[in-house]
Amino acid sequence: MDQARYAELFRTEAGEHLDALDTTLLDFETEPHDAHVATLFRSMHTVKGMAAAMGYRAVERIAHDLESLLDRVRSGEVGAHDVLVTRLFAGTANLRTAVETAMRSPDEPTERLTTTASSPVDGTRIEIAEIDPLTGFITVAVSEPDSAQPTRLSTATEGCVVHVRLTADCPLKGVRAMLVLARLESLGAVRSTDPPQSRWNDEHFDGVFAVTVLSAASADVIETAARAAGDVARVTVHTLPSKAATNAATNAATNAATNAATNAADPTLTTVRVERKRLDSLLDLVGELVVTRDRLLRIAEESDTSSTRVLTRVAHDTARLISAVQDEVLQARLVPIGQVFERFPRLVRDIARDLGKDVRFVIEGREIELDRSLLDAIGDPLMHLLRNALDHGLEDPETRRAAGKSPTGTLTIRAVRDRAAVVLQVEDDGRGIDRLAILRRAHQHGLVSPGITQITDEDLLQVLAHPGFSTARAVTAISGRGVGVDVVATRVRSLGGTLALETLEGEGSVFSLRVPVTLAIMRALLVVVDGLTYALPAAHVIEALEFDPRLLVPTTDYESITLRDEVLPVLHVRERFHRPRREAESHVVVVEVAGRRTALVVDALIAQLDIVVKPYQAVKGSAQWFSGATVLGDGTPALIVDLGSLT
Amino acid sequence: MSRTVLICDDALFMRTMVGDILQQAGFEVVGEAETGVQAVEKYRQLRPDLVTMDIVMPDMGGIDAVREITKQDPSARILMCSAMGQQALVVEAIQAGAKDFVVKPFQPSRVLEAVTRVLAA
Repeated sequence: MDQARYAELFRTEAGEHLDALDTTLLDFETEPHDAHVATLFRSMHTVKGMAAAMGYRAVERIAHDLESLLDRVRSGEVGAHDVLVTRLFAGTANLRTAVETAMRSPDEPTERLTTTASSPVDGTRIEIAEIDPLTGFITVAVSEPDSAQPTRLSTATEGCVVHVRLTADCPLKGVRAMLVLARLESLGAVRSTDPPQSRWNDEHFDGVFAVTVLSAASADVIETAARAAGDVARVTVHTLPSKAATNAATNAATNAATNAATNAADPTLTTVRVERKRLDSLLDLVGELVVTRDRLLRIAEESDTSSTRVLTRVAHDTARLISAVQDEVLQARLVPIGQVFERFPRLVRDIARDLGKDVRFVIEGREIELDRSLLDAIGDPLMHLLRNALDHGLEDPETRRAAGKSPTGTLTIRAVRDRAAVVLQVEDDGRGIDRLAILRRAHQHGLVSPGITQITDEDLLQVLAHPGFSTARAVTAISGRGVGVDVVATRVRSLGGTLALETLEGEGSVFSLRVPVTLAIMRALLVVVDGLTYALPAAHVIEALEFDPRLLVPTTDYESITLRDEVLPVLHVRERFHRPRREAESHVVVVEVAGRRTALVVDALIAQLDIVVKPYQAVKGSAQWFSGATVLGDGTPALIVDLGSLT
Repeated sequence: MSRTVLICDDALFMRTMVGDILQQAGFEVVGEAETGVQAVEKYRQLRPDLVTMDIVMPDMGGIDAVREITKQDPSARILMCSAMGQQALVVEAIQAGAKDFVVKPFQPSRVLEAVTRVLAA
């Protein structure tokens, strides 16, 4: 390989990645965002690959260790704290040095730069035990699970045992062994392997294994097939003498007993690790099942005659089972919100210290569970609200004392269940929101007509959530840069949730985020507007009725109807969608968002059912009335209305 | 007529190296991709005889790209290019449809052996 030619390419590209690493680390330090970790991981991985290709072992090793650390951050095993960030900075600096050294003299001894860390292996627990200040190296303590007993080779009634030894220098022996196995599987039925396949990805797997296979192929054919997988040093095939079926059965039973004993001896096998991807695809499949279930039910009901009664019953049974599976899968995806909450105490402490405020931080409801995809998305909005409370809400000790309050302010974050939703609250006992200051500013921005001197909590929130609105005189490093309530509101809405505010001057404020427990499947009311079907989240629907023009109340500014004793503003959805009104009969759906009720006028109601929520990207510049999309049982798409932005 | 290859890796440096090795063996590099999304698209356009695929790439990773390409064309011949310590990911890549793998640093002889195996399958 022509070192010289590639060396320059390496220097340039490695240099770019190292710069990118530094920049991203700075971003990561201010905002520990998952996206940054992903970027860091990718850059580190690329540098590692390039270094490996160039044979720069020292660089490769440092990059590998940093990559492993970043992987643990990515998976949530290691939290984002400033010790981590400092080490990542130090590690990246070491990487630069190593690159320079390598390019000057590629044969630099590398022992000094190795670590005692090993790659994470399934089932092992990893803890950061020590960080070497000189090299910035991280030593991890690895505790391995009890090794399972190797399953005994079951001697089949007929077949052979294929002993394979991979070449000593074969890389990723576990994968190569898998490729050998795949070739053997194409020749017959594989009964068992020794060591068991689960152990092939272990660090100490040495590429020596045996496969018991039932096959009609000759030993020569088997050997050729095994070797064709590549990197095979030796293959021997032992044909097994035919044994009676009872022997095989006895052996199978013994195996089962051994396994059961292993499992019983290890009481900790009550949980299993499941890849997040697997849960996501399970959920997709369940989603499709749910749609099919509804179609099946509809068809069964429509064609229900005495001769198809059995079909109807089976359809109902199937529907029941699918609902049960749906519940199980949704449950499996739930994760306690404590996982998100536990990053906060440290951050709150640091920010409070920087701002010179004395704060007692209380966490309530950390065992409340949320869908794991929501968990990722909910952390940032909560952090914004906490920062706002610390920066603007809570007063410093002197001000508090002067107001007759205890010098220590209390900041509470709380999770409670409320039917199908989880309510997350950020509460402070600070100065509350200065209504007059907000009103003044709202007048200036033209958001509120000059005559208005009082403002409710709901309207106050509307004003605060208006894009770009901020009352901070100085844009502080902590809460500034436009990180305002509008960002939180938008994010919460995109999750299908709502934001509410209660505030009392001098006493404090409570921001409440209400999010559905699960994102993916929700109950919706399907309605028709101008020939197209739309889905309204059932959680916000209060009632639906036929539209009777006699209910209309004449007012100057807008239409409203009286329903029992309540006056509700009316919104003709057709008008909102720039369609002409129609004279024929319509229906009214009363919806409630953030405490406000509106009467939506639609053409017709279809049904209330479960829908699978699919992500939806609005065309740039178009109205943001929809939060998602779904496909109905008959294949028609329907947009899910974001009631908050429509009303 | 020489066989065609599509090289997928987000580092120009790596693409150049792989490309050189394969060209010397008589392959024609008909396309390069930097992201999983590009890989899927270019495969569709070019239908190369062989694909080399890096595991970690931005905008859809290598494993997902393998899955997508294999879904469209079950006979796709994809060789995974992996770095040290990625056993679990390579296993996943193979399960997703890749036929074989090579590990960095690349030894030309190993790469060519792997390529031969992939094309023979």
